[in-house]
Amino acid sequence: MRGYLAVVRATYMIGLVYRFGFLFSIFGNIIYLGVAYFLWRSIYQHSETIRGLTFNETFIYIGLGSAMFILLKTYIDWILHYEIREGIIATYLIKPINLGLYMLSGGLGSLLMSLTAITLPTILLLTFVFKVEFTRGPGLILFPLSLLMAFLISFHIDFFIGLLGFYTDSVWGFGTTKDIIVTVFSGALIPLQFFPDAIRNILLWLPFQAIYHTPLMMVTKPDQAWDILLPMLSVQFLWVVVLFAATQLFYNQAIKVLRIGGG
Amino acid sequence: MSLIHIEDLSKHFKILNRREGLSGAFRDLFSGDYRTVEAVSGISFDIDAGEIVGYIGPNGAGKSTTIKMMTGILKPTGGIIQVNGQVPYDNRIRQAQIMGVVFGQRTQLWWDLPVIESFRILKEIYKVDQKTFDQHMNMFNELVGLQSLYSQQVRTLSLGQRMLCDITASFLHNPQVVFLDEPTIGLDISVKAKIRSVIQELNRERNTTIILTTHDLGDVEALCHRIIIIDKGRILYNGAIKKVTALFGAYRTIKLQIDNFHEGTLQSLKDKLSERFGAEHGIMIAQTEEFWTDVTIDQERTPLSDVLGFVMSAFTVSDVRIVEISMENVVRKVYDGALA
Repeated sequence: MRGYLAVVRATYMIGLVYRFGFLFSIFGNIIYLGVAYFLWRSIYQHSETIRGLTFNETFIYIGLGSAMFILLKTYIDWILHYEIREGIIATYLIKPINLGLYMLSGGLGSLLMSLTAITLPTILLLTFVFKVEFTRGPGLILFPLSLLMAFLISFHIDFFIGLLGFYTDSVWGFGTTKDIIVTVFSGALIPLQFFPDAIRNILLWLPFQAIYHTPLMMVTKPDQAWDILLPMLSVQFLWVVVLFAATQLFYNQAIKVLRIGGG
Repeated sequence: MSLIHIEDLSKHFKILNRREGLSGAFRDLFSGDYRTVEAVSGISFDIDAGEIVGYIGPNGAGKSTTIKMMTGILKPTGGIIQVNGQVPYDNRIRQAQIMGVVFGQRTQLWWDLPVIESFRILKEIYKVDQKTFDQHMNMFNELVGLQSLYSQQVRTLSLGQRMLCDITASFLHNPQVVFLDEPTIGLDISVKAKIRSVIQELNRERNTTIILTTHDLGDVEALCHRIIIIDKGRILYNGAIKKVTALFGAYRTIKLQIDNFHEGTLQSLKDKLSERFGAEHGIMIAQTEEFWTDVTIDQERTPLSDVLGFVMSAFTVSDVRIVEISMENVVRKVYDGALA
């Protein structure tokens, strides 16, 4: 346990070492928020609400959604892909650690980094620069928990894709396909409310909506009743459990076929 | 009982036969055309606690594959492998606690962080308590003098400094066995010497078993009492280093750049040497790199100066280097029955 915490801490520190990247990502985020503000302002020019969302709610959704996009993108699939290809994976396997937990610790370290570098500044920007009003309600209390679960779901999907590298030596195709599916089907790009009903109803049965749609609903409409919010959280939890089990099973298989080049 | 026991161990890889060109690459997408490569085929040896054993052989001999099986990264295709009485592959996490590994070609330190952070992380990963950690760090400090590097980012270290840090890291949890996979690769003579003395010291102080793979016969001579020579996945020799150095210590390779080199030059060199030194001269001629012709001689049979003088007078030579016998030549000689 202490070992994994040390890895979380180390990954966070690596983020700090590259402090210019840190500063620039805040700067980039300001520009993005500005563009999104004027874009959605003009979309909302002639109507108070679109599909039940006010401009205020949509802008919170889009603003926090972009911050979460950076937060939840673990790149574990690409990292694992690279490390399998280069044989770096060997340096992990000689250590008394579980590869999945080790990778998760690294992911948590970057999660904390981007929380401080992107998410918190975004919330501050939304509140003080764009004068967005956050509605108060139980959803705001559940939001951090929901965010953590969204991270775990995203991590396990990425890790699963990365493990394919043990079989194929390359996860490029899987990775890009997954990225597109997650971005579109999770509501990261456009709120799921804006999808046609038939498609939306299918998407609600997939794990992807639990990554962006669920936590973002918690902040944009936090004044919903507990008995709407808690089932949403339970569905997320269920996906965490299912994906964790699936990845563990897959990991145990994949590690058996592991081969590292060089003799 | 020996610390490491290996019996009839083999490892086969399945490799896709790749076709040439773009259209070949497309056809490979649906190809089931695999061939089996036997990286290690049926090796057996035992290593006792506290030994330093040189595990040598040319590129692609199966050295790293064996090490990866001993460390539990790769699963053997067949045979028995036990380290400290356990099967490494089945108990990878537990076994990792008693092993240390240095891969000379890559680092296990955290590239972007100061050196000391890597040691601290490893301390946590291997559950080393603070007191033991401090003791170890002091010891390494006296031995290697790393303290001045602690605050430096790993990626800014020189290759030699990085290697010393990597070796330190591999000994941090006081493992029973340490695998050093080419620890002196790409280093200059003085750093090599330093690394050799550190390895020797650590082995003496802690009785750590060390398995060293290397291309550098100098490493083996300086450190090991026993060597295992492997080639094409099979063991060629397993025994005292003395026998090997006695045999090859007298060998030197003269590297020559011969002017107007053409296809017949090697043959005419061969003929002229036979003519001058007799049929049983024991001189090996090979072209290992472009423009360079290697003439390997046994100084006990034919004096270096005689051969050099003769070649220089018979051919126009634009450059000469004299080097100790290479790993590849040792292996070739062993193949030809030199140690039998």
